[in-house]
Amino acid sequence: MSQASGLYVAGDSFFHRMDGAVKLILLLIWTVVTFLFMDLRVFAVMLAVGVSMLLLARVPFRKMALLFWALTIFTVVNSVFILLITPRFGTTLTESDTPLIPLGYDTVNTETLFYVLTLSFKYLTLLPITLLFIFTTHPSRFAASLHKLGVSYKLAYAVSIAFRYIPDLTKEFRTILNALQMRGLGISRGDGTLLQRARNLTQAVVPLLQSSLQHIESVSDAMDLRGFGTKPQRTWYMGKVMTEGDKLIALLCVILLAVGIWLKRSLFPGFWYPFG
Amino acid sequence: MKSSLWKWNTRTVVTIGIGGALYGATSWIGIPIAPDTQLRPAIALLAIFGALFGPIVGFIAGFIGHVINDLITSGTVWWGWALGSGITAAFMGLIYLAKDFNAQEGQMKKNHVAWFVVYGIVGIFVSLAFSGYFDILVMGEPNDKIAIQVISAGLANLAVFLILGLPAVLAYVKRNRNNSNLSVDR
Repeated sequence: MSQASGLYVAGDSFFHRMDGAVKLILLLIWTVVTFLFMDLRVFAVMLAVGVSMLLLARVPFRKMALLFWALTIFTVVNSVFILLITPRFGTTLTESDTPLIPLGYDTVNTETLFYVLTLSFKYLTLLPITLLFIFTTHPSRFAASLHKLGVSYKLAYAVSIAFRYIPDLTKEFRTILNALQMRGLGISRGDGTLLQRARNLTQAVVPLLQSSLQHIESVSDAMDLRGFGTKPQRTWYMGKVMTEGDKLIALLCVILLAVGIWLKRSLFPGFWYPFG
Repeated sequence: MKSSLWKWNTRTVVTIGIGGALYGATSWIGIPIAPDTQLRPAIALLAIFGALFGPIVGFIAGFIGHVINDLITSGTVWWGWALGSGITAAFMGLIYLAKDFNAQEGQMKKNHVAWFVVYGIVGIFVSLAFSGYFDILVMGEPNDKIAIQVISAGLANLAVFLILGLPAVLAYVKRNRNNSNLSVDR
C-alpha cells in the first residue's frame, strides 16, 4: 500500500500524531469561520496562526511550494480580473468612492483595491490549514477517521479507494496517452491544431473508461471474496484511539466556531475598510 | 441487471471510489477560457458515470473527485464548485432512472438520448448557478465577475458534454448492444 500515501509526508510532529477525525473537524471549522468574515484583521490573525501551525508540523517547504504558488497565481489572476471587470465594486460595500487608477472605460478605486486585498487574504487563510491536513494525514487513517465521525464505513471506504487509485489511474492515463502519441495522436503542443489535439484527447476516453470498469470489476471481486460489507460495522487496521489531547483540540475547535460566530455578530459584521 | 439506487453493495462502493479517482486524476487537464475558469474535458466523465451508475453514485464520485483534485492541485478546496460537480453528475444520472434505459445491456432509445441531453443541460446550468451563488454569498465575490465565470464555464461544460460525454455514452451503449444481440447461427 505504499502508493496510497499520495501527498502524505511521514513525520512525528504534534499534528502527525493528532487524530485524523480531529484534524478534519479543525479543517472544516476553520473553513466555516473563514467563510463568515470579510475582514482583513481577522484573516491576518488566522493566517499567522495557520502559518505557525504549519511550521510546527515541519513539512518540508519544497513539498508545499507547488501548491503555494498554484494558489498564489490563482489569487493574483482572480484579483486582476476583479479589478478589470468590476473596478468600482468596493463602493457597493463601503458607500465611498476614491478614484485611484484610471482604466479608460472606468477607474479603479481604493475601495476595490482594498476589497481585492481582503479577498486574497481570505483565500490565503484557507491554505495553511489545508496543507497541514493533506501533508500530515495518511489517507488510510483518514478513512478510519471519517468512519469515527459517523460517516458510514462504506462511504469512508469509497473515499479511501479514491485516494488509493489516483496514482494507478494517472499511470494508466499516461500509458494510454503515450500509446496514442506513438500512433501520431498526441495532445501536446506541436501535435497539431487545438481542435486536432482535442479530437485526439477524445480517443483516450473510451480506453480509459474500459480500463476503469475492469478495475471496478477486479477490485469489487477481491473485496467480495474477503467478505466486505457482510457486517454492519467494521474495524480499521489504521484506526487509532482518541487521546485526551485530541479531545481537547476538538473542544478548542468548537470554541473557535463559537467565538467566530460571536465576533461576526458583534464586532466584525461586514467588510472592514479603514480609510472610509 | 440494474441494481437498486439505494442499496450499497461492494460494487457501488468501488465504483464511487474509482469514479472519484478517475475524475480527480483527469481534472487537471484544462484550457483556460475565463479568469480562473477552465474547459475541463473531465466533465465528460460525470456524464458517463451518471448514465452508467445513477445519480447517487455520480453525485458522490463527482464530489469526492473534485475535492481530491482541489487538494492536490490548488491547496484549497472550493466547496461550492465541488458540490457543483456532484450536482451536474446527479442531473446527468437521472437518465439511469428511466424505466427501460440500461447502459450495461445496451438499451437506449431515441427519446432517452433526448432526455439525457435535457438532463445534462439543466444539470450544468443548475450546478453552475449554485456554485456561482455560493461564491457570491460565502466568498463575497463580485456578481459581475462570477456571472462571466459561470456563463463561460457553462458553455465550456456544455460543449464537453455534447462533444465528448454524449458520444462516449452512446458508444458504450452501442458496444454492449452488439454483445446482447448475438443470435444462434443455424
